[in-house]
Amino acid sequence: MLAKLIKYEWQSTWKLLVPANLLIVVMTILACITVRLDVFDAYNEGMIFSVIAIILTYVGSMFVVMIGTGIYLIYRFYTSTYGEQGYLLHTLPVDKHYIVVAKVLVSTAWVMLSTCLIYLSVLLLFNEEGDIFTQIIDSIKGSAMWSGTEDVNAFAVIMTLIAGVVLMFARILKVTACISLGQLSNNHKLLAAFGFYFLVYIAQQIMNGIYYAILGYINKITGDWYYGKSWEYSLLSGLIYAVVFYLVTWYIMDKKLNLE
Amino acid sequence: MEPIVQCMGLTKRFGGKTALNQIYLNLERGRIIGLLGPNGSGKTTLIKIMNGLLLPTAGDILINGLRPGVETKYRISYLPERTYLQPGMKVMEIVQYFQDFYPDFRVDRAYDMLARLQIQPYERFKNLSKGTKEKVQLILVMSRDADLYILDEPIAGVDPASRDYILHTIVQNYNRNATILLSTHLISDVEHILDEVVFIRYGSIVLQAGAEQIRRNEGKSIDRFFREVFAC
Repeated sequence: MLAKLIKYEWQSTWKLLVPANLLIVVMTILACITVRLDVFDAYNEGMIFSVIAIILTYVGSMFVVMIGTGIYLIYRFYTSTYGEQGYLLHTLPVDKHYIVVAKVLVSTAWVMLSTCLIYLSVLLLFNEEGDIFTQIIDSIKGSAMWSGTEDVNAFAVIMTLIAGVVLMFARILKVTACISLGQLSNNHKLLAAFGFYFLVYIAQQIMNGIYYAILGYINKITGDWYYGKSWEYSLLSGLIYAVVFYLVTWYIMDKKLNLE
Repeated sequence: MEPIVQCMGLTKRFGGKTALNQIYLNLERGRIIGLLGPNGSGKTTLIKIMNGLLLPTAGDILINGLRPGVETKYRISYLPERTYLQPGMKVMEIVQYFQDFYPDFRVDRAYDMLARLQIQPYERFKNLSKGTKEKVQLILVMSRDADLYILDEPIAGVDPASRDYILHTIVQNYNRNATILLSTHLISDVEHILDEVVFIRYGSIVLQAGAEQIRRNEGKSIDRFFREVFAC
């Protein structure tokens, strides 16, 4: 049943999201060709205007695809789970765990695909020379170093990537949990969902603050900056958040469902 | 044999409003039962609880001896009072969807009924008229060999000419050992197919009796009797 749910969730979303991701590819090709033209050297007003227009369209497309994918997936989750289509979904003879897993897996896959495509697109656009794979590794190493990892080796790179995926799951589950929490309200369920999202965001910021305060205190006492390795905190907090948000989503769907 | 539906002190409150109040109700197998009551009487709330779409505030409900859950959903075929299918899907894709999830779904029966109503399988659901959408939904629900069919306002949105076909479809296609629970305002249209009626008002059951028994005892049609009982 899980495989069937995933299949239909994928079929329901691909018609909009495949063209959106194709737009990234097309705009990347256009932008890459454009920036490699020597229009600024061979001063040509008309060409320069066209190049600027293409670059601006490229940047706009990336934003639209990224934000649009997020909004569409949220809308899709809301309408298919707590909207009219929820009447079909929740009368299917399937475990609620499967429903949550199918929706979250497909949403995460789409967000990851868009993110990876945009990431690759930017790398390709600014790639002067050299191997693109090396550049990807370098950029991951850079982000690992920037966020506190001292010894950047292959293990740290892999763990940074895993932590990134886990955090992505946690972010998507945060949205599903907040939409589900909004359903507990008798009125203005969407507004309540936004309210819960805001509260969860504040709670997460407070927890981050507490973590770094404790970390600073330990570091001061021990003089050891070992605990500052960022992927460890990202992975651990991501896992905790993902589990908590998953359980909240599942619990409300299974034990508190109120399709009015 | 135990009843297909058993409600024991079933209560549902929305905030301060009581939608269902201490309902005790047994529905037997192999009957066509009309769930009748004015707007806001609690019919849809009761139906949603049977389908696990709402959870009761108090009391208990058993379907086939089980609380609403995965097992009961295998046995219930439910038609909501609203359009609940994905608009972008083609009719044939929706048929496939039902076939994938419900082991008791009969594809040949579904296509036979679609053909009789001249509904094209490759049409997108969103392009169908409101009445045709309701017919497609009913066809899907009646193409299952369920133990309990729950139909919430199945003829409300269709023209009078189609109502007879729909009622005929219901009577012809349900599993004879199964129960049909049919909620409607259009009593005169359906009363000739009913074996039993349940009157509900202000969230309470006010009458449960055989259709023929009411006609004989009251000397009038169920529609007429309903109008007297629920006169404003």
